[in-house]
Amino acid sequence: MTAVAVEAAPARPVRQRMSRDDVIMRVVLTLLAAWLLLTVLLPLWSLLAKSFESPDGRFVGLANFVQYFANPQLTQSILNSVWIAFVSTLLCVFLAFLYAYGVTRTCMPWRGAFKIVAQIPLLAPSLLPAISLVYLFGNQGFAKDILFGHSIYGPIGIVMGEVFWAFPHALIIVTTALATADARLYEAADALKAGAWRTFWTVTVPGARYGLISATFVVFTLIITDFGVPKVIGGQYDVLATDIYKQVIGQQNFQMGAVVGLILLLPAVLAFVIDQVLQRRQSALLSARAVPYQPKPNRAIDTALFAACGLIAVAILVIIGVAFFASIATLWPYNLTPSLKNYNFDDVDGGGWESFFNSLQMAALAAVFGTAVVFLGAYLVEKTRGYRPGRAIYQFLALLPLAVPGLVLGLGYIFFFNAPGNPLNLVYGTMVILVMCTVAHFYSVAHLTAVTALKQIDQEFETVSASLRVPFYRTFFRVTLPVCLPAVLDIAMYLFVNALTTVSAVVFLYAPQTTLASIAVLNMDDAGDVAPAAAMAMTLFFTAVVVRVLYTAATRRLLARSQAWRLR
Amino acid sequence: MQTQTPSAASSSPEPYLKIRGVTKRFDKFTALQAIDLDIYPGEFVSFLGPSGCGKTTLLRAISGLDVQSEGTISQGGKDISTLPVNQRDFGIVFQSYALFPNLRIKDNVAYGLVSAGRSRSEISTRVTELLALVGLSDQAMKFPAQLSGGQQQRIALARALALSPGLLLLDEPLSALDARVRARLRGEIRDLQQRLGITTIMVTHDQEEALTMSDRIVVMSRGRIEQVGTPDEVYSRPASPFVADFVGRMNFLDGRLVAPNQANCKGVDLTFAGEMTYAAETQVTVCVRPEDIVVRNINGANTNVFDADVGVMEFVGNHFATTLHINGTNLNVAADLSMNDVRDLGVKPGGTIKALLPADRLRVFATPGAAAQ
Repeated sequence: MTAVAVEAAPARPVRQRMSRDDVIMRVVLTLLAAWLLLTVLLPLWSLLAKSFESPDGRFVGLANFVQYFANPQLTQSILNSVWIAFVSTLLCVFLAFLYAYGVTRTCMPWRGAFKIVAQIPLLAPSLLPAISLVYLFGNQGFAKDILFGHSIYGPIGIVMGEVFWAFPHALIIVTTALATADARLYEAADALKAGAWRTFWTVTVPGARYGLISATFVVFTLIITDFGVPKVIGGQYDVLATDIYKQVIGQQNFQMGAVVGLILLLPAVLAFVIDQVLQRRQSALLSARAVPYQPKPNRAIDTALFAACGLIAVAILVIIGVAFFASIATLWPYNLTPSLKNYNFDDVDGGGWESFFNSLQMAALAAVFGTAVVFLGAYLVEKTRGYRPGRAIYQFLALLPLAVPGLVLGLGYIFFFNAPGNPLNLVYGTMVILVMCTVAHFYSVAHLTAVTALKQIDQEFETVSASLRVPFYRTFFRVTLPVCLPAVLDIAMYLFVNALTTVSAVVFLYAPQTTLASIAVLNMDDAGDVAPAAAMAMTLFFTAVVVRVLYTAATRRLLARSQAWRLR
Repeated sequence: MQTQTPSAASSSPEPYLKIRGVTKRFDKFTALQAIDLDIYPGEFVSFLGPSGCGKTTLLRAISGLDVQSEGTISQGGKDISTLPVNQRDFGIVFQSYALFPNLRIKDNVAYGLVSAGRSRSEISTRVTELLALVGLSDQAMKFPAQLSGGQQQRIALARALALSPGLLLLDEPLSALDARVRARLRGEIRDLQQRLGITTIMVTHDQEEALTMSDRIVVMSRGRIEQVGTPDEVYSRPASPFVADFVGRMNFLDGRLVAPNQANCKGVDLTFAGEMTYAAETQVTVCVRPEDIVVRNINGANTNVFDADVGVMEFVGNHFATTLHINGTNLNVAADLSMNDVRDLGVKPGGTIKALLPADRLRVFATPGAAAQ
């Protein structure tokens, strides 16, 4: 090796000249990386800096942390958060596995309907299940007796709410893991006379192992960082997410809020790192030549899982149903005469109907603008030739939001954009900052969707175009974008629904003229207007459903027209 | 180094593509080591070798997709070493076809023409011409997914030829097709290339493809060129044991030199044509192709003729792959016996026959490490 190096030393290494395409791609990718720097990393940096400052802005080292850990009431929240997340995650992943198994591995009836029902929690803010639980098991709840005198306000309520809310997230991952089974393994196990139970433990569970682990981490992160459920139903039981809110909104103690934010960042980052490492290992294990597994009818198993999935589905429908009926009752549970009076949002505090239209506007802007940025960024990071450092930095910044809880990001935004010397100060308190923050908050999943779609199309389109001397942007608009249209629409839909239902990041950033519907739910509930809160949550839910249905119908027509080439 | 002679296909002595000292390193791994190669106008040259031999790396250096670490490449007298892809002059066809799935066949073929700013009528004329060239005139309005693999690859070829490039690069163009289509397309591509007289480089790991299509074959192994020659040269006179092994099937008989034109392999003296410039007792490998072993009409010949026991006979369709045990020794030789040979001579497992290893068909290589005198 040394001999070769010495011998080759006189020759000058060849450096390829950059084409116009290369220059444009690098410049745009750099600009997008700068955008992510601005909307993700710098706010986090401000948060970090704030945690080392005194209220008047002096550097005080670890004083804030010392103060935090000296307060047993605050540190108790760490234990509470971890405990809640631990219990809810176990329950949620177990139920998701059961449900996914029923949907993918049995011949039970109504599997399609079960799939749809399981998606319901995705369309509602996390406040909604908590409100429903209050109606069901609260002080005036009609099913209160099931709890045997325990109060729903506290850990029991939080766990139930979180399991409901995180369920579809776990289900998507576990379903994917179970759906990609290799039939040959089952045939081999059969041929070797392994019983059903042994096959389950030696083939099914190991096959879904990575999916289960991944689901565990994703759900754990979601739950430990969720704010909506504990805010509504947590009562006196403090968790980290509600502590941040109390410190910042209640006590205006921004420094302590930053400290709690950093502590909340830890488990999320840890879960993120472990999941990334595991995913890398998983892709090495997957075989390309798997034969898809087709379940065969089995009366006992089909019946058992139908019962189990049925119970879960009914629970989901009950939770949504209760919120709905409470919202249209004159005075739940005493006067059940249907009435729309709870939908007169202008009669209660919280922003009124205007907040709903603000939400629609914000979600639409986030969907349009976010999709454009996300897809362009993913395209450039995949297709730019060379420029390794730039691409690596972009990739890191694009995945970072996955590890950042919404509350922490929102808090970082206050510190960064509201800093006196920042020229970007003028977006503070406007719709712009809400859109920026929401796009940044949900960036990673959208980015990964785009990257997956781009990886599935032929890698040589750009090469062919370059050899035909066609500029890359022409191929991007003429070929890549149309071919990836389904993924692009998926991303837009994902951003829209999340922007509509999110509470955590934007709760620190809205202004009187930019109140959002999801925050109105929070504030109405806080003020004791629980029925209008349920009504607003249901309005958001129905909006998401309508948009989703319209989207499905529209994409079906659009795809039929623009994707004729997909048919043989 | 090899002496490189222009093949019959070229009339001009001046190379169209000159590759000098091209080296490619990926971190610690050296994928190409100081490659020198000339390719002449109108030639069809194949880069042949196992995966990881550097053939694709060399093609990517020529196209500018992955520029070399060192060395120069010039095309048509112009140094293109540092030019980006879109300033080079080539058309490329990939194993995956890389047709744009959402564009009709005519739009795929016209893709480069539109950006070149040709007029509408000019484009339409050219597309018609190109589709006729690949024999798919009636498919213009279809989408790629509606065509068979072989048809798609012909469209990819038409698209690559649209701008009349000086160089055509084919990256494993037939590997994704099934055997029948592959054999037919082989002839079609070669025929098209000869009609257009376009200088063409094809990367392949399939020796049959390289042998049937090329004017010259560049056999590569571990980042180096093992041999450059016409298909016949590469097949009949392999320059190294690697080439002998990689192209076609081969018996490798270990032995030692007993005379400048004779080697002893496990007690069998084999005489070969030509002389080796190595000392006696040098370890050598004698190579002979199974189909070169003669079992009939051996009248009177007495060199390299042996009595042999017939071992396993494997029926391969048009011949029997037969193992011969040379009597009185433990030397085994694989021989391909034709159906006629077997029928006429009544060869069967356990029988005996006479076998001739023709002296002019033997290739002898010194075992690595042996020094020339």
